[in-house]
Amino acid sequence: MFLLRKIITLTCLCTLWGAGLSVPSTSLAEDYSFSLDEFEKKSFSWGGYAELKWDHNWINQAGTFGLLGFYDNPRSDLDRLTSTVQLDGNYNKGIVDFNWLLQAFAQKSQVDAEQNLDIFSAYASIKPAPSVTFELGKKTFKWGKGYAWNPVGFIDRPKDPNNPEDALEGYIGAGVDLIKSFPGTLQTLALTGMILPVWEDVNEDFGEQNHINFAAKLYLLYRDTDIDFVLFTGDSRSTRYGIDFSKNLATNFEIHGEIAYIPEQKIKILNSSGLLESHERAVTSYLLGLRYLTENDITTILEFYHNDAGYSETEMDRFYQLVSDANLQYINSGDDSLLSQAATISKSGYARPQIGRSYLYAKITQKEPFDLLYLTPGVAAILNLDDESYSLSPEVVYTGFTNWELRLRYSRIDGGRFTEHGEKLNESKLELRVRYYF
Amino acid sequence: MIVKPYSYTLQTLMIILLSVACLAVPVSASDLDGTAILQQVDRNLNPESYEMYRKLINIEPDGSKKEFVLYSVKKGQDKMVALFLSPASEKGRSTLRLNDNMWLYIPNVGKPIRITSLQSVVGGVFNNSDILRLDYGAEYDVANIAEEGDLYLLELKAKSNTIAYDRLKMWVDKKALLPTTIECFASSGMLIKTLYYKEPKDFGNGVVRPSILETDSPLYKGYKSAMVYAKINQKELADEVFSLNYLSRVDELR
Repeated sequence: MFLLRKIITLTCLCTLWGAGLSVPSTSLAEDYSFSLDEFEKKSFSWGGYAELKWDHNWINQAGTFGLLGFYDNPRSDLDRLTSTVQLDGNYNKGIVDFNWLLQAFAQKSQVDAEQNLDIFSAYASIKPAPSVTFELGKKTFKWGKGYAWNPVGFIDRPKDPNNPEDALEGYIGAGVDLIKSFPGTLQTLALTGMILPVWEDVNEDFGEQNHINFAAKLYLLYRDTDIDFVLFTGDSRSTRYGIDFSKNLATNFEIHGEIAYIPEQKIKILNSSGLLESHERAVTSYLLGLRYLTENDITTILEFYHNDAGYSETEMDRFYQLVSDANLQYINSGDDSLLSQAATISKSGYARPQIGRSYLYAKITQKEPFDLLYLTPGVAAILNLDDESYSLSPEVVYTGFTNWELRLRYSRIDGGRFTEHGEKLNESKLELRVRYYF
Repeated sequence: MIVKPYSYTLQTLMIILLSVACLAVPVSASDLDGTAILQQVDRNLNPESYEMYRKLINIEPDGSKKEFVLYSVKKGQDKMVALFLSPASEKGRSTLRLNDNMWLYIPNVGKPIRITSLQSVVGGVFNNSDILRLDYGAEYDVANIAEEGDLYLLELKAKSNTIAYDRLKMWVDKKALLPTTIECFASSGMLIKTLYYKEPKDFGNGVVRPSILETDSPLYKGYKSAMVYAKINQKELADEVFSLNYLSRVDELR
């Protein structure tokens, strides 16, 4: 509880401190004074943000995950308060740089409390020349061109498509980055190589232990097109290959895509007898997307994602049926053993976000409509194309106060019985997030 | 702020001497070499490769302001990078331009994403192509030139349809060979914005150029944005600095 109190106190202090400093300056005459003194480079720099988030969740009481979470203590809604502090920093000494990113959060709801301190990244970079960098330590990689999903993100942690721009925890490793620029149609060639060990207490959650893995990305800027060739090989996860691209077709129109091939992907599936089986099969995942800006500043991001490693409708139905049967057993006899078994099975993959095979993601935002400066309303939707279930999230973001970001978002999650979104924990959610950067 | 009258580089003087020589015989505007004038305008605005500190100010109709401070480096005709130093919410963001390609790197997001020239990473009237502006001569051909008193009027046409503005009308001070006003038009003929170059200043090493660039737009009635230039230094840079892999490290150039 000490850490929880500390984080909440720090968050409130930062929030109050910022409140006194951050109102945009107002002046009648135009003041174009500009002193460079405060922007001189220092060997040590740091920054970050403090955030308070409140969310109200309307629980989908009849849904699979509503039952698994609250079968012994049913409730129709849940309020939660989360405070987060993120700190980043850099120390430079000659050709060596130390970088770090830490995140601490404390969460309190009507049913439980949680707190944690994570080191998202902490690594040293040695740069003997602009074209060569050696890196050692914990670093976050975000490979791929997709906004909501990245099939070629072989050494990334999976993104949350509802918050794809949030920082993620990295993995420990050693790597090299080489860049070469050319005149002509091939403008840039860059190679990134990473060695990723998986041992006890080192990258344990990456995959099978006691192996050293290798990942590489070859980047080309060729004919004004970004192209990456991506490879992962090692025994902690099976070997996989990927390609991605991105290109501007016009001053307001960008397209991107990714394709990944995994010859031997292990997948855990619930069989017709209610037992979890491990299968191995070749899978291909791909994503095609675009970003389009209209004359009145409406940005549309549209992505189609297909994942062969996802569950089919029949495979998902089996899991939902198991939970439904387990709940009946609990109601009739008070025996929750089958529900406990289903909860364990859910952790093998069924509780992951976007567990199906084909999705459509759309995000439409309009910058500063009706001359309302720094206000960005928008709506994001994720549609499961197999069962036609969806989540729809209108939101509004305001950044008019320097270093503050306010976001109000409502999400409706639905699709009917035995569909992915129809069986989620929430049927809707209201979220207010206040973030202060320092 | 120290404001000095324009002083002239050797190239500027040569063009002025040529212009004076031409006055001896009557010439029509069509005899003027618009391309040479545009090239000199570019060189007078910036060295070909440089580092620069700028402040961007968005001014709302009620006078309230939002400010951003950027460190930028440019090399040759087609390479430019800008790093946000302030405010804290934008610090560490960097943008790269290679020809018509533009990318934005946000530290939290952790990877560069392609952006388009008509978007704006700072809001307000300046868009990405204004913030990552290359030489005018790299993007535009001179379609016509005329004389209006102490000014040349250059009518510029974009070299391709990937350039943010299809046409520019650029008024150039004849003596200083620096722009005073630029009107930016869409291909439909619609005026998108007007740029005003103001307050010439000696930045050292022969760079004498306007220290303020203001803009307004009929699309943003009542709003105004300005760029204030504080430091412009010639700088030698490796080509590899202008690549996606380098975007997270731009601060090392300072």
